[in-house]
Amino acid sequence: MNIDRRRIAINVGAGYVPGINAVIMGAVLAAGRLGWEVVGIRNGFEGLLSRDHSPDGGLVDLSPKLIENLDPSAGGVLGQSARIDPFHVRTINKDDMVEEVDLSDDLLKTLQDEMIDGLISVVGGQGLSILYKLHRKGLNAVCIPRSIENDIAATMVSFGFNSALSFTIEMLDRARQAAQSARKIAVVEVQGEQAGWIALQAGIAVCADAVLIPEIPVDLKNVAARLKDKISARRPYGLVVVAQGAQFINKAKNEEAVSSLKASLSPLATGSSNSEHVILSSGQAAQTVATELQLLIAEETYPLVIGPWVRGGAPTAVDRQLGLGYGAGAVRALNAGKNGVMVAFVPPDMKFVPLAEAINKVRTVSTDSLFVKIAQSLGIFLGREL
Amino acid sequence: MKKQNINPSDITGTVLNIQRYCSHDGPGIRTTVFLKGCSLRCKWCSNPESIRMKPELSYDPKKCTGRKCGLCLKSPFPEGAFYFVEGDDEHVKVNWDLAMDCDETHASLCPTGALEMFGKTMTVNEVLDEVEKDSSFYRNTGGGMTISGGEVMLQPDFAAALLKGAHDRGINTAVETACNVPWANIEKVLPHVDTMLHDHKLTIPERHKKWTGADNKRIKENFKKAYEMFPDTTFIARTPLIPGVNADEEHIRAVLAFIRPHKNVIDYELLPYHRFGLGKYQSLGVVYELDDYKTPSDDLVKKLQAIIDEAFGRK
Repeated sequence: MNIDRRRIAINVGAGYVPGINAVIMGAVLAAGRLGWEVVGIRNGFEGLLSRDHSPDGGLVDLSPKLIENLDPSAGGVLGQSARIDPFHVRTINKDDMVEEVDLSDDLLKTLQDEMIDGLISVVGGQGLSILYKLHRKGLNAVCIPRSIENDIAATMVSFGFNSALSFTIEMLDRARQAAQSARKIAVVEVQGEQAGWIALQAGIAVCADAVLIPEIPVDLKNVAARLKDKISARRPYGLVVVAQGAQFINKAKNEEAVSSLKASLSPLATGSSNSEHVILSSGQAAQTVATELQLLIAEETYPLVIGPWVRGGAPTAVDRQLGLGYGAGAVRALNAGKNGVMVAFVPPDMKFVPLAEAINKVRTVSTDSLFVKIAQSLGIFLGREL
Repeated sequence: MKKQNINPSDITGTVLNIQRYCSHDGPGIRTTVFLKGCSLRCKWCSNPESIRMKPELSYDPKKCTGRKCGLCLKSPFPEGAFYFVEGDDEHVKVNWDLAMDCDETHASLCPTGALEMFGKTMTVNEVLDEVEKDSSFYRNTGGGMTISGGEVMLQPDFAAALLKGAHDRGINTAVETACNVPWANIEKVLPHVDTMLHDHKLTIPERHKKWTGADNKRIKENFKKAYEMFPDTTFIARTPLIPGVNADEEHIRAVLAFIRPHKNVIDYELLPYHRFGLGKYQSLGVVYELDDYKTPSDDLVKKLQAIIDEAFGRK
């Protein structure tokens, strides 16, 4: 391999977050300064797994000319796939039957045939595990963490988080104004299945009455008691922020009605939908909190869901800088001979963390974190006295 | 190479589960044998553990003793496949991308049974011996054995041997199928079937492909061929009813138009969508794709059922 003239590729995993073009720009500009060539893989790995789907064979030449005209505030130029997993690619076989096949070897061979000697992959938590598997099979990979929830533990801030946080704050401001006008309690569900950073930090920014996060299981009777104390004739409204993955203690059973005509598609499917395995669906947490609070206090509540709105739009100034920094950092990693690592922002440095250490670690809110202390100082109730 | 003659009772297949006392899978009280492997990927599937052909690992956190044990974090389990998160959560977490390669040997090491395998290899005789235990129920209720899935027709030799074996033991037979397989598979199985329950999921091929992964052109051809070539077999059409996907009058009428010319299609059943399969997706690390859909209302089901009743002259 000629280290002076390298050909590297960049791709983007599932789940759009604002700032992807900034990452691409950062990588291409940094690689250009080293005299390297950069190509982009379309739609995750799909571009290389189904090369006949696009006229350019799934590879985009990320020339300096293209980058000059790339708007860092716009969406990702490479596109994305629903999933980034080459080990389980859904396909129709020769007998017209649907199946999942392992195309990881084909992918690695195609990368080799294209003379690509390093891959920069912009991925979330699951993507890290998949890139780790590919790395173990010989792929020279450097990952860039992107996460709306900021739940990747090895880095202080994933790019995309700040844009999601800013948008959430704006929406919460509006929700509070609407609640004030309607004299009701708005219960707003925000992103955060495993980690409550968005709920907590946005809740602090708008001085919410209560913030409910996955890390602090909550008894809604306590929340109701606190709201009773806060709501008065002079302040006849409230704002509760609840993370999608908030955990509830002593929740009333909300049995799902099943049609009496036939109970199930199959006799095997007789489990309860209220088991602890229930998959979180958008709006469930807000609905639960709004319904139960309304039963416990005299005020009217209503649920709102921000949901996937946070994934669109332009990146904030922070995410543009982070994106450019992560892109350039990934090239620095490759240039330093690092392989199988994730670029991590650990102020004041960018560090390269081995993928084996980056996977399986979730960055959650601990009860002694600074943000929890700030929330307590502001009188924001976190579901229980800490 | 000389072809080996295998005794039909020794043929093996991958069985997910054998469920006794079933009342919705054909006439009377039945024992349903679920086979593994499916050729569709319906987004509403309530049995995700039946999709993959091979036996696979599942994890039940309720049975896991977590940090007190921690065996699955050590060799021979794959590195990184199981882990703990910082904080109060005592349960083991599963990295499904790395745990996919675990097999029966790994599952057997779990002392509490939190890790177990969905699916095992069984011979025809092993299955039939289990099924035969409830023969008296079958005789008294007109029941028997139903093979379901997954897709039964993906294991045609095993299914055919099972069904024939059941007939030899005097047991009535039924299959549940979507028929998204080559006709040769169906041709092997159907001679031994008394009742075929078959799914008409969507009418328009493009929409069928969108929601199940494959279009329905071959499926409809297979149904038609089956009705015509097996006049003595009883057919019952079915539709899993999902609001916003197929729970509409147009689909029901299109299915009725397709089946009514065939006198051996004796009924058309509606199966209202439910969300009971959700927990199983998490146990398997499979993404559930039909997140926000609701069960159909009783009123809607009754309205559509009335159309079917009228078509079958049951008004």
